[in-house]
Amino acid sequence: MGGLKKKKLWGSVSLVLALSLALAGCSGDNEKATTPDGKEVLNISAFIGTPNQAPAKDNRIYKKIQDELGVNLEMEFLVGDLQQKLGVMIAGGDFPDLITADTKLVSAGAVIPLEDLIEEHAPNLKKHFGKDWNRMKDSSDGHIYWLPNYGVYTGEFISNYYSGPAFWIQKSVLKDAGYPTPKTLDEFTQLIRDYAAKNPTIDGQPTIGFTTLASDWRTFPLLNPPEHLTGHPNDGGVVVDENGVASVFADKDISKRYYKELNTLYNDGLLDKEAFVQNYDQYLAKISSGRVLSMFDQHWNFQAGEDPLVAQGKIGQTYVGFPLVYDTSITDHYLDRPVINLNNGFGISKDAEDPVALIKFLDKLMDEKYQKLLSWGEEGVDYQVNEEGRFYRTPEQRTEQEDPAWRLVNKAEGFYAAAPKLEGTFEDGNAIGAINQPEEFYDNLKPEDKELLDAYGFKTWSDFFSPAPENPVYYPAWQVDLKEGSDAAVANKQMTDTSLKFLPKAIMSKPDEFDNIWTEYVDAYKKINVKSYEDRINEQLKWRIENWSVK
Amino acid sequence: MANTPGAIPEQTTRTVVPKAPLLKRMRGQRQLMFMSLPIVAYILVFSYYPIWGWVMAFQNYSPAKSFTQQEWVGLKHFKFLLTDDAFLNVLRNTIAMSVINMVLGFATAIIFAILLNEIKHKLYKRTIQTISYLPHFLSWIIVTGIVASSLSVDGGIVNVVLMKLHIIQEPIMWLSVPEYFWGIVGASHVWKEVGWNAIIYLAAITSIDPSLYEAAEIDGANRYKKMLYVTLPGIKSIVIILLIMNMGWILEAGFEVQYLLGNGVVVDWSQTIDIFVLKYGLQIGNYSLATAAGIFKTVVSITLIFAANSISKRLGEDRLI
Repeated sequence: MGGLKKKKLWGSVSLVLALSLALAGCSGDNEKATTPDGKEVLNISAFIGTPNQAPAKDNRIYKKIQDELGVNLEMEFLVGDLQQKLGVMIAGGDFPDLITADTKLVSAGAVIPLEDLIEEHAPNLKKHFGKDWNRMKDSSDGHIYWLPNYGVYTGEFISNYYSGPAFWIQKSVLKDAGYPTPKTLDEFTQLIRDYAAKNPTIDGQPTIGFTTLASDWRTFPLLNPPEHLTGHPNDGGVVVDENGVASVFADKDISKRYYKELNTLYNDGLLDKEAFVQNYDQYLAKISSGRVLSMFDQHWNFQAGEDPLVAQGKIGQTYVGFPLVYDTSITDHYLDRPVINLNNGFGISKDAEDPVALIKFLDKLMDEKYQKLLSWGEEGVDYQVNEEGRFYRTPEQRTEQEDPAWRLVNKAEGFYAAAPKLEGTFEDGNAIGAINQPEEFYDNLKPEDKELLDAYGFKTWSDFFSPAPENPVYYPAWQVDLKEGSDAAVANKQMTDTSLKFLPKAIMSKPDEFDNIWTEYVDAYKKINVKSYEDRINEQLKWRIENWSVK
Repeated sequence: MANTPGAIPEQTTRTVVPKAPLLKRMRGQRQLMFMSLPIVAYILVFSYYPIWGWVMAFQNYSPAKSFTQQEWVGLKHFKFLLTDDAFLNVLRNTIAMSVINMVLGFATAIIFAILLNEIKHKLYKRTIQTISYLPHFLSWIIVTGIVASSLSVDGGIVNVVLMKLHIIQEPIMWLSVPEYFWGIVGASHVWKEVGWNAIIYLAAITSIDPSLYEAAEIDGANRYKKMLYVTLPGIKSIVIILLIMNMGWILEAGFEVQYLLGNGVVVDWSQTIDIFVLKYGLQIGNYSLATAAGIFKTVVSITLIFAANSISKRLGEDRLI
């Protein structure tokens, strides 16, 4: 009996031993790292709402930040669908310190108000956001929850590179036609027709005259063109008249005219047959094959499809954007003045242990010294300074910047994109970001691009567009928060669903059936509570006009 | 069927044990009870405790508020679901695709298993079986990629073959014709799962007494007769059990396939309950609606299982419960 007892005892002892070992293993990596001057490193967890590759472990810039500011960033990047990920986070009630902005998180009470923290501890941030302070307040309770990542400019506003909405056309089409400037939709489609007739295949594959995309949340390539063609700026699903009243246009005649044009293109075999069944990846793959002559899109959305073309030196198959309108009496309004990117950037979650340290860290990063580090890199390593104090890169440095693998080790892109940042120019007059430094931009152009810009007598890609007029106070309407689960949000979903169902059907119909399907579409639209959507937007626009106007 | 000759009446197979008092019996089986504790705890925590969340369906749930602050709305969300045209459409799609998948899945797997069983060449048989169940291990994202590219108008193999055979004049855009969608989903399921599903039937077939085949042969049965009168009845009980178990999944027509293959044009035929819940519930933060749809699904599934079980009982077949 005694023997058995002993065995049991040994069994429990070894079990306890194993357990404690396992537990010790879990907590083992909690060894505190220190900065060179012996201070303890603060670990900050951050969730970033865009898919991105995690930086290399020995990343030069993050290392520098850790050494100088005593902060180690533990970043998690988005995998899969953002709304789903946030839904799970909310359901689980477990949040990282810094969290990507989303109105859903405010409704869930997951983030803390920032205004007092900024006032007390963050002079740089306060100065940066000063003139947009009122805009950043949540319309429902007047608190500030997010530190927007883009759209606040200091110094001079420079835009060499255009990444907004436009009708994009391949450079080789323009070259072939002797560098014309299409102004209207008709002139644009004529260019495509002519080129496609001459080049039925490109690189051995059939030419696609025009394509579009309507997959997941990326429905704007299909749904937004009518507002631009009528000279309205990008307000999303509505156009706003001069009195500041928004109305939905998807079922109106200004839309019908555009989709009728696509219907003609389709029946002439110039519209991509698979435009409406493709997903985002297939769309990018198609663009990177170089056989798509044109599309309506925003540059940042198809950029990833263009990159491989640049890498292969197929510059002729990359794109130039044109601000098309229905007729020449309309002034185009594609280019807009930068607006603060509300409901984007970072917020601080209610789980953060030390919000003061977090805000102090973000504030220190707003210092020009660190902004230069994040955008240009290290002086002498990533860029040079000439006698006049202008920043430039050597050809070798430029080549390095084009290599994604190099960037993972030597740039802090993932964090920089999501964090609040300076834009425009530094106090010394250098542009923030190499792409915006005019001489650096021009020296970095490919020979084909120089030839094209010279032919048009332009210096930058933005020159193709009319100068941006002053923005209305409320602009842009697409940033209005519809409120989770509200009637407006449901109506918005239903409107998108209806458009995605009927528009492709109408576009792919025989020319004489188009009108019937359009009528069906309008009827289906009438069944939706569109008014609740318009009301919510108008109520918010009114609120903005009242609260954002400079008094 | 209950009185099939040869079947021994149930009672006589059991030796009657006089019932001991409950406590004594529990003591006698304490090792068993101890071993089952973790499982019971697991089920309580992960399957029963979450049912508490169902109260959300009767509220306008907001994650920011505590339980006592929630606004109660009664059956509002259920009413919305059952009167919404879109949801009824979604329900139709879910059931239709599920039934198609189930019938096709059963029929093809059984036929495939029986045919495979007839192949006598060992190596050949094994090769076929391996090839047939390999797609099971691919994730749906890959399978839908394969499906989409083979149905493409742009050199997709299906269109190329049909064109070469002069069955169609010009390529068909399979994925943009609403009426084809169910068929495409059904066919994809068959391609992916037929080999895997057949495994259990193959196993069942091996347990059939070989003397039955010999007897049938003496009676003059040919190959087809043997399949029909020996093999099929031999695996009947397995088929019924699997059918009952699958009844519970009938509202689980799936999410991935329809989500990945669907597009705006075919939405009327492709949207299932899960996609509806994702779009109108989770994505716009309407958790209560999502929960209500989930409850609806669960209740229908449980009802179906019990219905199938009692039908099977009436037919005198094996039962699950």
